[in-house]
Amino acid sequence: MKKYLAPAVALAATLAAGSSSAIEGPAAALQNRTIAYVLSSEYYALYQTKDAKAECPTGFNDGPREQFKMLFPDDGTKRTVVDTQLAREAEVWFPTLKPEAFPFKEAQSKIAPGANLDGKVGPNDFTSPTGEPGIDNQLYRAIGCIYNYRDGGELWIITTKWRQQHNFNRTIIELTDVDSLVNDDDVTVTTYRGLDKLMAGATGAEFLPGGSQRVDTRWGKEFIYKFHGKIVNGELITEQGELVLPEMAAFEDPSVLPYRSAMFKLKLTPEKAEGVIAGYFDIEGWYRQLNQGWATHHQSYGQESAPSLYRALYRLADAFPDKTGKNTAISGALDVKFTQVFVQHPPQETSEAPAKKLIQVAH
Amino acid sequence: MPLLNRKRLCLALGFTAAIALAACSGPTSEAAKSSAMAIKEPDGGTPKRLRLLTADQYLNTLAYVFGPDVSPETRFAPMTRTGGLLSVGTSLGGVTDAQMEQYQKTASAVATQVTNAGNRGTLVPCTPADAKAADPACAATFIAGVGRLLYRQPLTAARSKEFVDEAGEAAVRLKDFYAGLGVALEGMLLSPKVLLVTETSEPDPKNPGRERLDAYSYATRLSLFLWNAAPDDALLKAAESGELNTDQGRAKVVERMLTSPRLEAGMRAFFDDMFAFDDFNNLAKDNSIYPVFTGVTAADAREQTLRTVIDQLITKKKDYRDLFTTRETFISPSLAALYRLPASPGWTPYEFPADSPRVGLLTQVSFLSVHSHPGRSSATLRGKALREILLCQTVPRPPANVDFSAVENPPPNLKTARQRVGAHLSTPVCAGCHKITDPMGLALENFDGAGQYRDQDNGAPIDITGVLDGKEFSTVAQLGTVLHDHPQLPSCLVKRVFSYGTGSLTTAKDKDILAYLDARFAANGYRLPDLLRTIALSRAFSEVAPPPVKTAAAN
Repeated sequence: MKKYLAPAVALAATLAAGSSSAIEGPAAALQNRTIAYVLSSEYYALYQTKDAKAECPTGFNDGPREQFKMLFPDDGTKRTVVDTQLAREAEVWFPTLKPEAFPFKEAQSKIAPGANLDGKVGPNDFTSPTGEPGIDNQLYRAIGCIYNYRDGGELWIITTKWRQQHNFNRTIIELTDVDSLVNDDDVTVTTYRGLDKLMAGATGAEFLPGGSQRVDTRWGKEFIYKFHGKIVNGELITEQGELVLPEMAAFEDPSVLPYRSAMFKLKLTPEKAEGVIAGYFDIEGWYRQLNQGWATHHQSYGQESAPSLYRALYRLADAFPDKTGKNTAISGALDVKFTQVFVQHPPQETSEAPAKKLIQVAH
Repeated sequence: MPLLNRKRLCLALGFTAAIALAACSGPTSEAAKSSAMAIKEPDGGTPKRLRLLTADQYLNTLAYVFGPDVSPETRFAPMTRTGGLLSVGTSLGGVTDAQMEQYQKTASAVATQVTNAGNRGTLVPCTPADAKAADPACAATFIAGVGRLLYRQPLTAARSKEFVDEAGEAAVRLKDFYAGLGVALEGMLLSPKVLLVTETSEPDPKNPGRERLDAYSYATRLSLFLWNAAPDDALLKAAESGELNTDQGRAKVVERMLTSPRLEAGMRAFFDDMFAFDDFNNLAKDNSIYPVFTGVTAADAREQTLRTVIDQLITKKKDYRDLFTTRETFISPSLAALYRLPASPGWTPYEFPADSPRVGLLTQVSFLSVHSHPGRSSATLRGKALREILLCQTVPRPPANVDFSAVENPPPNLKTARQRVGAHLSTPVCAGCHKITDPMGLALENFDGAGQYRDQDNGAPIDITGVLDGKEFSTVAQLGTVLHDHPQLPSCLVKRVFSYGTGSLTTAKDKDILAYLDARFAANGYRLPDLLRTIALSRAFSEVAPPPVKTAAAN
């Protein structure tokens, strides 16, 4: 494609120069055919218009407080805590798929960011904001009209904030076998959990490339996954595979965000990688992180009724059917930004090494 | 020409030849070494000084006397940089009311910490008979021990009694022995004899008609020079015993001090002073231009250079000139981001690869960022710093009517610093100075105002070729080598170390001793510990010269 040629050649030249470890500057990010990025921003991939009328023409969903008021109006009826507050609380932790009286407002837009996960263009699929058809993002239908996840909502604000603040959530992707950040038909992407803080700039408002992250190979083993992929015109596209992201939110109570199948689709530069981590979320796992990671008040302020959403997730689920044919996963995507980082792996120790040391000591 | 002057001239020429020989054939040349070692040490001393303790000297002394936990948060007024050193400025000027207030607050805080319930058991060597009353015997024990270390010599009986009486009176009034002791300690810490170093002399029995520093003054000069703190107990004992009055005794004491871990603190203080790192206290970068340069970066940049210097010169005892060609240094995570390197938490040793543009102190973030503007690099400031700080040359101040518009609002066609400062070279009033600063400053243009590497400036390639005092270079590594071989590089260090140690501006009268020290430094392979030893044991360091009639411009 001609229009990509000029910048592509320029960038390739820069990166080729950067292959020497002695050269500094942005090009130094790619060293020994390796470049890494740390996750610094994360939102659910939603298509949002300013007044929301296009995608949520009847408004946003009610949350726990609104539903409670409808179920138990202040009409003088005497009720017990067990029958009201605790009963609703139990529904959060023991949700059912039985129909409920509350209407659920699904996002109505035909546009949504994400990725074409199944390689097909179906009637329920979306078109991406850039015009790509076949986007699988049923999670958007489920949460697109819940204020919590929209611009300014409670979780919209603090999911990424706590991603940045808690080292538990430090997620790194390391790209190896990289010959070029512009076009490369075979690269390997490995995810790790990092151990260090993000490197903030002098203003504190942004995270900067060039920081360092040590890989957590001890407690972070469960977050190590490998993906094969390619880079086309500066965009990394991986094959799909299992992925679990650390997701600690409130009260130092760690949880995880489980994808049954995920892929990275990221525009790469020597300094950042931006795009989506798209895939099929395991519904039970996703629902668990919602309630384990976030407190009641987050759901209340964000007008997010967990029991109602649980029903919507299964209603819109589109992959990984169980033995009965019921889908157990829902397509979705995270809108992510990564910042270039230097990864430090722990020194490798061969299995013979400790024995040798002992022998030396004994002698 | 009078005979004496002719002899001096020959001697000076001899020194010059020895230095040149050493510089050409390297420190391993036995001929150069024996030639330099054969040079006789010239006569002459340095003036007695009245110096104000710096904040670091004060705090280092407190840390030795009372332990590192007694560390008041204090910031003394900045000194005036004189002859390239703040330490020389300590002997100029007075103490203002505001400074006295700061000293009083600090003294009060220290006295409270020393005598509080948590520390008194350790820091007061006796227990009063009644903690609510005066105890002259216990107070006298404490005051004698602490007073000797703070005053840098034993207290006179009369002075000691005054403090004991003061402690007793306060204890009675406050009904608290330790509160009374605190009052006396506060008084000691505020004493001019503690805050000011007053050097005193005595007739020199080996050189009739001449004066030498008395043993306590010599001990204090030695300790401030090598440790940046007041003398310790052993050094005071050496003064008391007369050991410091013998050549053998002095050599033994100086050797102990040079091998002490406290030498590191002393030399960090010296290089922090020589490199004018107090500029870091006011260093600010434009966050929008250099977002990666934070307050942590600035502190780490200063620390990186000091660590490198101590590692190379004290730990590894390397050639001073190699500081400007070495690729060995230390890295912290904050700095690593500027150098575009991975780093582990804390400080780790690091060696830049052979083809890296980072070589020597000139390419460290400290030098590059301090000698730049908040939002851009400065070939002129860097060139000026190189000449003034490292070569002890003087670059005249710009004329009052200088037109900065070519640099601050450059025409768009002037993309690189070389093009912008080129405007100076075509203006006669500017060219005189810029010709001596810009060529080597432009060699560092591959590094922006925060010290980050770049190969272009406003999209234009950067030309870093230049010339330093007749030696051409085309890479920054070559600039380091040219500087390494510059004869004024080691002699500038000699001048600064001598001036720092004696607390005096060097003048034309010091020409012979500086030439002698230059020759010995070269003969010893430009090793800093050897230079320190030579200076500390020199007659110029311990003998007293009459103060100059008028201050000569030393630089």
